[in-house]
This record gives sequence, C-alpha cells and structure tokens, in this order.
Amino acid sequence: MSQTEPLRPRAGPGAHVGVTEPMIREVVHAFYARVRADPTLGPIFEREIDGEWDAHLVKLCDFWSSVLLMTGRFKGTPMVVHTRLPEIGGGHFMRWLALFRQTAEELCPPPAAALFVARSHMIAQSLQLGVAVSRGEVPEFSP
Amino acid sequence: MTYVVLEACIKCKYMDCVEVCPVDCFYAGENMLVIHPEECIDCGVCEPECPVDAIVPDSDPRSTPEWVKLNDEYARIWPNITLKGTPPSDADAWDGAEGKLVQFSPNPHRE
Repeated sequence: MSQTEPLRPRAGPGAHVGVTEPMIREVVHAFYARVRADPTLGPIFEREIDGEWDAHLVKLCDFWSSVLLMTGRFKGTPMVVHTRLPEIGGGHFMRWLALFRQTAEELCPPPAAALFVARSHMIAQSLQLGVAVSRGEVPEFSP
Repeated sequence: MTYVVLEACIKCKYMDCVEVCPVDCFYAGENMLVIHPEECIDCGVCEPECPVDAIVPDSDPRSTPEWVKLNDEYARIWPNITLKGTPPSDADAWDGAEGKLVQFSPNPHRE
C-alpha cells in the first residue's frame, strides 16, 4: 500500500466494445475542432482554454481514457470548473452533446459510439445539475 | 445525479473505487467510504470496480433516501481519499453480511 504501487490493469467498459486509446484521441481531437468552430460553444471554450489547447486535448484524452478504459490517468475537478462558468445553461449542454454524438458516430463503430454517447449524457446531466444547484436554481441535494 | 455507496461497504472498505474515480469524489470513514454528491459526475467507472457491489446510481431503488443522506452528510466531514489503502483484515468475512448498518462508524478514516 504505497503511492508508488501501480494501478492494477483494468479492462474498462470501452475494452468490450472496441474502444482504444487511438480512437479516444481521434474523437477528442475531432470533437474539439468542431467545438472551436461552433458559434455557441467556440467563444466560451476559447476564453476558458486561453491558448492552452494542446494541454486541454491531452487532459480530455486522459479523461475519456479514465472513463472508458479505466486507466486512472485523469484526476481533476470538472464539477468545480463548470460551476464557475457564468453563462452556461441547458442550450450549451445540448449543443455540446449533439456535436459529441455526431463526432463519435462518424468515427467509431456503433457499439463504441453508443458507449461514448451514453457516458457523455450521464456526465453532462450531472454537470448541468451541479451548475444549477450551485446557482441555487434547484434545491441543494437533500432527499 | 450521483452514485451512492451503500451498506455493503461497511467493514469491507476495499477501496478499489478510489483508484479509478477520475474526479476524486470519495471520502473515507473508519469503516466505509461515501461519495460526495456534488463532486460525482456520474461517469459510472466506480460501480463495476466494487468487489461487494456497494455502489449504485441514485436512480437505483437500493439507493434509499437514508443512504443518499448518509453519503451527503459524511462526504462533508470525512477526509478525501484518492489512494487505495489496506482494507480491514476481516473485510472478506463481512462481505455479504446483512444488517451492517449497526456496525457503521461515524469516525473519520485513520491510516
């Protein structure tokens, strides 16, 4: 039990449907190229990424690798990052999801694309709810 | 939307989940872990990692208000955990035991 002990190898949900690291890279890079060209999302991302696109793409490849292949490469706090964005709302999430679905479906075999899309929807829903809670737009999490 | 740690974790606390969580949203008590509902992004990675099936989405019927509340409450008190530690020596003996809630410790994790 030490910090140097390597993460034990795991297959992750993506391995069962043919997701690979090169596939993740291709999807992430193609997707953010579309985001940058998008009139709704582009300006927000350009402002937030502030010229650090190479690092952002590496980070997002790590993120999807962690989610789909369970590599544990990404460690971050995306909820905090998103709740700090003053203007984002349902329309932004919908646009993001539409572009992501389009990209995944164009570049991946159907089972892999379906997994990308399913996880993107779960995560987006969670982030969107987190943003709303942080603004007091919905009651704080209390059953 | 969040994932929730249930009773099955109590006294098992294997901690495989903390290694794969991309957003470090697990918090550790003396004999169980919980998920911070406002940090979890619902990526689903931890659920199949748990050897005792203690993690479910909050949409699952097993995720009762009692467990949602316990996760929410203790995630704000206990320390964050990002590295797998040593599970309790008797963890395997508690795997699958019923009625473990009486064993729940509100104390924070100690190395």
